[in-house]
Amino acid sequence: MTAAISTFIIGIILGYLGQRSRMCFVGGIRDFVLVRDTYLLRGLIAFGLTAWLTFPMTGLILGSRPLSFTNPDGVAVLLTIFGGFGVGYVSTLANGCPFRQHVLAAQGVRSSIAYLAGFLAGAVIFHSWIEPLLLRFLP
Amino acid sequence: MTGTRPVSAVPMGIIAGILAVAAGSFFDVRPPEAYGVCMACHARDLVNWTLNGVVRTHLDVAPASLFFPVLTPIGVLIGALIASKTSGEFRWQKPDSSVKAFLYGIFVMNFALLAGGCSIRLLLRTAAGEALGLIGFGGMVIGVVLGTFWLRWRATQ
Repeated sequence: MTAAISTFIIGIILGYLGQRSRMCFVGGIRDFVLVRDTYLLRGLIAFGLTAWLTFPMTGLILGSRPLSFTNPDGVAVLLTIFGGFGVGYVSTLANGCPFRQHVLAAQGVRSSIAYLAGFLAGAVIFHSWIEPLLLRFLP
Repeated sequence: MTGTRPVSAVPMGIIAGILAVAAGSFFDVRPPEAYGVCMACHARDLVNWTLNGVVRTHLDVAPASLFFPVLTPIGVLIGALIASKTSGEFRWQKPDSSVKAFLYGIFVMNFALLAGGCSIRLLLRTAAGEALGLIGFGGMVIGVVLGTFWLRWRATQ
């Protein structure tokens, strides 16, 4: 329940700030490539740097061990590159990252509402068909 | 990019970074690690958890969302609605192409679940020190750059 309540509140804060700042997590790279505009890119870098500094600090406060991750195998690396590439490419065509699309949908942009409908349908499609298919054909 | 920006992108990024880490460390949004904010995975959890409860499917849900799903997508929609209503920026806009946007949504969600995160979580995993996160984020940057080149090329045709 803690996770649900906290993500709900964090979501409201991020949604509010995201609407006021027009933040987009792919738009920064796009704007920089297109017109050398760094406004959104600076937001992206600020997010990454802050998280990078905050992870060890919360580790110190909680006295916990550093986060442990499993060593990736070759298939996972390929799938992650392919997936990451697709996220970046299609998000650029769609004119904004998933976060930006949520904000635009709440602003009344109807194509973003259609995007969100596809987004939610996509989750069911992935776990019903794509993932079983992958598990069957990949080692 | 016109109009006033009462909140700039840099403070937004800083606040988002702190909240994303805090969610995982202090508010039980784990496992998996570095799961504090993700628009794709959290939306997936919400949809699958709801379907599992209502029509008894057995779709995958992250451990953090087993008993009650994370509500980030709903929070973001409400927060952005409040911001757009109070600033007078809320306006129903006609879509360019709803079908195209719908398909984009399907594709981005599938790619994101394949990579294990949307653009936000890929960067969050990178910041947490996960090699796979960095790989995914690198793939995403290449994707955005090529996508931008494609848009520019199409605009000149």
